[in-house]
Order: sequence, then C-alpha cells, then structure tokens
Amino acid sequence: MKMFDPDAMGEKFLRRFAGGTSRRGILARLGVALVAAPVFPLLPVSRAEAAKPDRSPEAKTAFARNAQTTDDTKCTYWRYCAIDGSLCSCCGGGLHSCPPGAEHSPVSWVGTCINPEDGRAYLIAYRDCCGKSMCGQCGCDGTDRETQLYVPQLNNDIIWCFGTTSMEYHCSTAVLIGSA
Amino acid sequence: MTFLAKSKRSAVIRRSFLSAMALVIASAPGAASAAPPLEPDVEAPPATIPAPKPSWVYVNRGFGTPGFSIWDTATGKMLGLIEGSWLADMEIDPAGKAYYVAETFWSKGFRGTRQDMVTVYDGASLKLQTEIAMPGRILVGSRLKNFVVSDDGSTGYVYNLSPASSVNVVDLAKRKFVRNIELPGCASLISNPGVGFSALCSDGSMATVSTAGAKPVITRSAPFFAATDDPIFDNFVVDKAKKEAVFLTYTGLIYTASLGANPKIAEPFSIQEAAGVRKGDTKPLDINWYPGARQQLAVHAATGHAFVLMHMGEYWTHKAECNEIWEVDLAAKKVVRRMVLERSFANIAITQEAAPKIIVSGEDGALVILDAKTGEEKFKIKSAGNGVLRTVGPS
Repeated sequence: MKMFDPDAMGEKFLRRFAGGTSRRGILARLGVALVAAPVFPLLPVSRAEAAKPDRSPEAKTAFARNAQTTDDTKCTYWRYCAIDGSLCSCCGGGLHSCPPGAEHSPVSWVGTCINPEDGRAYLIAYRDCCGKSMCGQCGCDGTDRETQLYVPQLNNDIIWCFGTTSMEYHCSTAVLIGSA
Repeated sequence: MTFLAKSKRSAVIRRSFLSAMALVIASAPGAASAAPPLEPDVEAPPATIPAPKPSWVYVNRGFGTPGFSIWDTATGKMLGLIEGSWLADMEIDPAGKAYYVAETFWSKGFRGTRQDMVTVYDGASLKLQTEIAMPGRILVGSRLKNFVVSDDGSTGYVYNLSPASSVNVVDLAKRKFVRNIELPGCASLISNPGVGFSALCSDGSMATVSTAGAKPVITRSAPFFAATDDPIFDNFVVDKAKKEAVFLTYTGLIYTASLGANPKIAEPFSIQEAAGVRKGDTKPLDINWYPGARQQLAVHAATGHAFVLMHMGEYWTHKAECNEIWEVDLAAKKVVRRMVLERSFANIAITQEAAPKIIVSGEDGALVILDAKTGEEKFKIKSAGNGVLRTVGPS
C-alpha cells in the first residue's frame, strides 16, 4: 500500500519548478516589474487614494466654515458637527468625560468633523452620558452628514445609552477617535 | 387702665361702622339676598369621547412631556389625553375602539428592571385595558414609523434597537407578543397590507417581511436611494387603503411606492423642479429650497396632493424649521401652490376631510390649524406640544 509522503511530493514539485525556470528568466521578469512600477500609481485606485480631500471653504459645510477650536461649551466647537443634546462640557463633565455620577455609554453614533486648525477630518464618537435626568444646558444639534434610523450609527436622535445601568439620557460627549 | 378703656371704645366704634356698612350693602339695588345659594357640584362621571373623527389631530407632546393630546381641528378644543411614557409611540385601532401605545418603563423610575410593552387604552374612556409585554424597543423621539399597525388592526409591529436591529410582532386581537424578527440594517417600518411589513435599509433598498407563514420571509428590493448621501426622511406617509407609500429625501426627491410582496418604486422627481426651481443638490454653499424639520410631509389621499415643509438653506440643514408649505400634485408632479407661513414650523399633518385642514407645530410647542384651501388661520394653540402629529387616515 502506497503511503502519503509529503517529502517526496515537495521534492517532485521543486525539481519540476527548477527545470522549467532559469535565473535569467527570473531576472528578466524582475526587470520588467521594476520598469513598470512607476506606471502603477496612474491606475484609478491609486489616483483616488492619492487625491487630497478638498478642504477649501467652498467644499465645507456651513458648520465647518464657522467652526472654532477654543470653546467647547459652544455649539460651534468643531467636534460638534453631528452632536445632538446637552453638551457635557456645560454639565460638569468635559469633551470626553461624563459629569459626576453619570455613566459613559460604551457605544455611540459617529460624525466626521473638520478641525479648522489643521484642515484634517477626524472621526468623532458621540458617547452619551447616562443615568441622570437630562442636563438641559447648552443644547446643540449639529446635522453634518446626519442620517435617519436605518443608518443608526449616523443618527443623533437615538438615545445611545446602551450597555449602561440606566438608559436615562444626561448629556453627550465628543470623543476624538482619529483621522477619518 | 386708661389704655384698655380706649381700646374698648375703639372696638365699639368699629363694630357700629361695620354694621352700618352691611346695611348699606344689603339695601343696595341688585343684592341677591333672596336667591338660594349655589348647590355644591355633584360628582359627574368622567367624560368619554366618540370614535376617532377625521377632524381630529393627535399631538405627541414631545421629548420632555409624555402623552398624546387629542384636539378637534373643527373647534380648536382639546378632547383628552392618551397616556404614554417618555418616548412612547402611539397607534390608532383602525376600528376606532382602542389606542395602542408602545412604551417603556423601569421599575425604579429610570433605574431597575426595564419593561417594554404595548399598552392598550379604551377608545372611548381612554382607560387602561391591558399591557402586552414584549422584548425591547428603540428609544427615540419625533418618529411615526417605529410602531405601525396592520390595515386590519390585527397586528402591531414595533421596531427594536438593542443596538441590534429587529422588529417585535404583537397580536393585537389576542393581545400577546408573537415573535421577534431580526432585521439587520433596516428600520422605519411600513405596514404592508396582506404581506406583513416593509422597512427602509442602509444599502438604499426596501426590505419586505412576509409574516404569513410559520417563519418570516425577508426579501429586498434593488437599492433605489442614497441612504447616507441623500437619505429618505423617516417620517414618510403610508396610505394602507391605497397600498402606497410616499417618500421624501433630504435634497427634495419624492418617491412613490406601490406596496405588496414585491414593492414597486417609481422614478423620483424633484420637488424644486416641480416648482420651477433649481433641483436640490448636496454641495455646500448651494443655497436653495430644501425640505426640513421633524415631520416634513403630509398627504391628502382624496386629492393626491402632498404638503411639504420647505426652508431656504444649504444642504445638511434637514432639521431646520420651515416657513413655507409647498403643495404638490403627486400625479402631475407639479407644485401647485406655495404657502408662506407667518413663522417657521417643525411638523405638518393634514386632515382627510373633504375640506381639509393643515396642522403645523413648532419646536416651541405652538400649534396652528389652517384651512388647507384658503390658508386662513383657524386656531392657534400656544403650547400643545412639539412632537409629531397624527390624523385619522394616511400618516
């Protein structure tokens, strides 16, 4: 009975490969690849990735054109482009921290906001602070790229107090996740 | 001693003066001394209300004030209040015998054990009849399509986000929870007569769920709208009798869909172009007329006319209150009238009467009733509520 012999199979494959190729052939193919390399960035995918996003005033939303970076208790603060609710910064908390006794929701909706100082777009996670009655201070409603319930991660009307001990809404934070 | 005598004398003088004054008042013409005093009120039984009338409007009182107040647009009077918890959704029994409220409670205020249910209220007395427990529901305000009832009134569909997406099916005749159907990526429910329900999805398609068999069967249409670039507003209008839905997008595209096992969605048209205005765009700095606010669309079924709240602004101002109503002939794809409002409003509804009335309300809770034909203001109510509006019929 013939047994399965991986060593013999491997040897057979390598001998066939060596017999069908040559060092010159491999060098020739490498040369072609090197010559052709500069052409690859012209392909559509590379061009799309290389294209710099348009951050001119004409390409910005009304919110982005008027956004500021100095006062996080104002609705115009740049990270609030898609927030909805009371700003935790006005309720005893901060941009990414809850007021005393409130609990940060582990999940959130998100927005993509442009920082006017560096012109870059950043992914912002709007995490609700939960477990206390509504703060009621500094009510804001940023609507940049805000959608409806069938795209819940981009909807800012939903009470996002999931996974917390209480679903009572208190206020919203704007946590910077990274470059968008 | 001297002091006491003086005091007594003063008291005598005061009493004499008061007696004299009493005589003057009693002898004055018109004094009703002979008339018997008013009888104390006999406690009357609580009022009841008739079955829902086409002239009525149901006002979701909004984020901070629970309950649904009932107003008669013919008189401008409040008729009663359907109880509801924070962020509750209300539906009307098509037979007019009950009101259903999908709502959520916790055992200790906002803490403790969560309880989700459809609460049944008697249509006449508005008294609690029963509670149908179910496993969860979405918590969000200003929406009409998270709780819908089938055309025959037998079944309720309640949207749930946990944050996994699903739909609770509730048997309203037997008053019991039936099952939960997972529906990833879809929300905004549409009662689909004879089939079950449909929903809009994040890939721009419409899902249709047939609930007739032992297991639900889910099918999807081809994508027909841009869910993130030009979304359809959640508060669209469904006419169960016509088996038709009317959708409106952020840029102002109007779609109509024939419901059924395989819904057919017609090519959209631009509300701006239908008014002779440049088509709505998604580009920044393009100032144009756009639909907006919370509840943007109402349809009068008999005439096939839509009424849309419009405002001037840039794209992504879809929550802005609106100061014009555009009346659209859906069949002719024409804006037949533009009504300029005194101020901006967030919600619009229309009664299905032969001579309909438009109801608009603002974020401040003010509600105004207009004659739909003339635009004349019939009633203004200061603080009715700022939530979504319901009338009897398509909504």
